[in-house]
Amino acid sequence: MSVVAFEWGYLADYGGDLAAGLWRTIYVSAIAIAGAFVIGLVLGAARAHRVPVVRQLAAVYVEVIRNTPILVQIFMLYFALPEIGIRLDAFTVAWLSVMVWGGAFNTENFRAGFEAVPARFHEAALGLGFGRLGTFLNVTLPIGGRIALPSSINTYISILKNTSLLYVISYPELTTTALQINALTLQTVETFTVLAVTYLALVWSMSAGIRLLEGHLALPETR
Amino acid sequence: MPDWVDPVGHYMLEQGLRGTLELAAISLVGALVIGVVLGTLLTIHFKPLTWTIRLYIEVWRGLPILVTIFIIFFALPAISQELEFSPLTAAGIGLILWGSAQVAEATRGAVGSIPREQHEAAAALGFGWVGRHVFVILPQALRRLLPPVVGLLVNIIQNTTIAQVIGATELLESGERSVERLTAPPPIGLGEIHAFEIYGAVMVVFFVLSFPLTRLAAYLERRLA
Repeated sequence: MSVVAFEWGYLADYGGDLAAGLWRTIYVSAIAIAGAFVIGLVLGAARAHRVPVVRQLAAVYVEVIRNTPILVQIFMLYFALPEIGIRLDAFTVAWLSVMVWGGAFNTENFRAGFEAVPARFHEAALGLGFGRLGTFLNVTLPIGGRIALPSSINTYISILKNTSLLYVISYPELTTTALQINALTLQTVETFTVLAVTYLALVWSMSAGIRLLEGHLALPETR
Repeated sequence: MPDWVDPVGHYMLEQGLRGTLELAAISLVGALVIGVVLGTLLTIHFKPLTWTIRLYIEVWRGLPILVTIFIIFFALPAISQELEFSPLTAAGIGLILWGSAQVAEATRGAVGSIPREQHEAAAALGFGWVGRHVFVILPQALRRLLPPVVGLLVNIIQNTTIAQVIGATELLESGERSVERLTAPPPIGLGEIHAFEIYGAVMVVFFVLSFPLTRLAAYLERRLA
């Protein structure tokens, strides 16, 4: 076994590229997480509250996305849709694919959260004179949303990790950038060390930060 | 049906789907064996051991699977030539590292949920630590592990597609090769683009594989809850 001598000097030349890749990873993740939050909230509520039509469509959406690989979904959006005349650029496919994927998982997270709100809370709210929307906004959402928080956080972290798959459409996020640098410099061990450490730093700080938030938002009963 | 469908379909099912199923099976078995052992060891209160296993879990759960597979496929051979793996093997190792981290976490919870009395009764019968876990605790814990393991199988099946990125012959890769082949001008191909049909078919196959398992996992969860 050969001794590996790390040579970090090349980082001075490619640090800027890596930073740009990291920024795109964070940017695409942020758009997708925000979108997945909205999708999850709306469709989760539609499923939990049995809104006709929307509820069935949401169920189909959730099952199709959850039961097919996200990599195939990315292939469909980027390589297959042009055949039927829909051309999306790499950036659009980047945020759209991870958002649609995360939205399906988040719909289930929020649905489970809303359904876990005890029926007596609804009854109390209705008894106080709230309408259906008022009951949802003032009772079901604040309580059910918090119940859904831990599982939705895991979905957001998965969204971030899944942006690495955008390598297949050559969208220059962190993984794509690292592989390009590797191809140019052949500093393989160093480049992949940087790549792995960056992802772990992102994922670990994200889970640590959000667990902190989780503590603040936890329901008083469970605190 | 057009002429190209039959040979492409045969190729994708016989080579591609076969690769997917083999990779999924090996990854599941590897993840279960390593994960159950690590998860059980995690219930021992010995800090250095706990920290080591925790680091293993957090690293392989934290990294995107694609990055893990890239490291195995590209970086390990740069360290030593003996660490050069075929695409399928590299993907299998990556999926086992990730899957075993999931199983270890679930096993820790399942083993921890077995009442103390079971440990004490087994100890009173003369079982040592290993015998107690193998014959008394784990058989009960495995029952509770069943729903998450079926869920994991669905995830493993879907994540086998990541092997496509390093060119392992699995369903998505066989689809991509078929698309490229058909796009090539005659006499090699037809000069026609059939990406939508082929990737659509790949999606359908994965759905047919995964959907019953997703239902089964939900059913088991309700029944064993």
